[in-house]
Amino acid sequence: MVSRIGLFVALFAIPVGLLAQSPNPAPGGWLIPQFNQPPITDANRKPAPRRSLAGTWGPAGGNSAATQGGGVAARPNNGRAEQLPYTPYGLDAYRSHKALEGADAVLPADGNDPRNLCEPLGVPRYNHYNVRMTQIMQDEYKVAILYHYDNRWRVIWTDGRQLPTLVEGGVDLGGGDIREPRFFGYSVGRWVDDYTFEVTTIGTMPEDRVWLDSTGRPISDQVRVTETFRRMDYDTMVWSETIDDPKMYTKPWETMRFQLRLHDPRTDIQEYYCSPVEQERYNRLFGNTVSGK
Amino acid sequence: MKSARLVVLAVAAGLLLSLPLSAHHGGTAFDVGKVVDLKGTVKEWVFSNPHCLLFLDVKGENGQVTQWIAEGQAPNVIFPVGYRKDSFKAGDVVTVTVEPVKNGQPMGRILKAVLANGKILDRASSGGAPPKP
Repeated sequence: MVSRIGLFVALFAIPVGLLAQSPNPAPGGWLIPQFNQPPITDANRKPAPRRSLAGTWGPAGGNSAATQGGGVAARPNNGRAEQLPYTPYGLDAYRSHKALEGADAVLPADGNDPRNLCEPLGVPRYNHYNVRMTQIMQDEYKVAILYHYDNRWRVIWTDGRQLPTLVEGGVDLGGGDIREPRFFGYSVGRWVDDYTFEVTTIGTMPEDRVWLDSTGRPISDQVRVTETFRRMDYDTMVWSETIDDPKMYTKPWETMRFQLRLHDPRTDIQEYYCSPVEQERYNRLFGNTVSGK
Repeated sequence: MKSARLVVLAVAAGLLLSLPLSAHHGGTAFDVGKVVDLKGTVKEWVFSNPHCLLFLDVKGENGQVTQWIAEGQAPNVIFPVGYRKDSFKAGDVVTVTVEPVKNGQPMGRILKAVLANGKILDRASSGGAPPKP
């Protein structure tokens, strides 16, 4: 119990520590996200802290710049199968998905996106779904990412533990310790240099539970996700990702690369959740009718 | 509904298509590029996920009242635009510009709103620049 309390305190001590460095003087109220911050130039650029991603981040292009509704940021869906290196199985999986976004979108009532059931999106789709305000906290053992959408969080271990090995139906943590697939998989991270953090994730959910993006592109439990967080300076960071999923794609490909901007650590982030009750009400009042149901 | 001033803007079609797709669903259901101005009385404003919904009674030229439903994005998306839980109150007379749905139902998504106090709010949906490299 003591160690859990210690970890909790450590996680929240970091943002408190950032208060003294905040560029935004205390307004004494409930701060809302500010997307009209002045651009970073040579005149106001500050050096990035060493080996730290901690902070409250938002898309540098604005509140909706990383929603990726049209498909993952690096390759929005243009509707052509040849755009991605699908395996035959992957292409069949894509065609079985009835997405509400993208080139092959269907009407709201006709979709089969697991998101519409408020299912967890899993990794990597949380990186591709309405990335808005993203909080990152870290201590000497881990980095925690608090996603805005559905108030979800994940942990990336930085204590030197080994990435598990993929086995049939799950992962082997070592010595035959078999564990189940998870929506957020099993993630370990390492500092490539003082400003570049690389994360590898495996052991995610199978393709009948999760999608890659909102346009219905598939992803399987065989995927290996590699993310890189590169701190450009104090206020900006580039988040990129490559997936290697031999079940769905014949070769690895980059799914996203976009810039994040640091926000005041006291920013109050609004809830953004998926509620089955509210989803049902929306479908009844609007979604079904516009679909002719 | 007849009193709804229908304005088709060819330029708007291209402009709207260039915007990022909505947070919850795409534009499949909407008659992209068509714009309808609605002046009416607020029945209810549902400030809720996955989309906010505005119920608006609009009186036609023949005196008949049609209830329109205009949707906005989720609260956290339209909050920075200025929309709040109390932006619309029952009984308020407001003007809302919507992009209607394709199937002729009195429904659409909010492109602009002029509140009872005269305050003008922009599009109640996603906006912003594309992701930066």
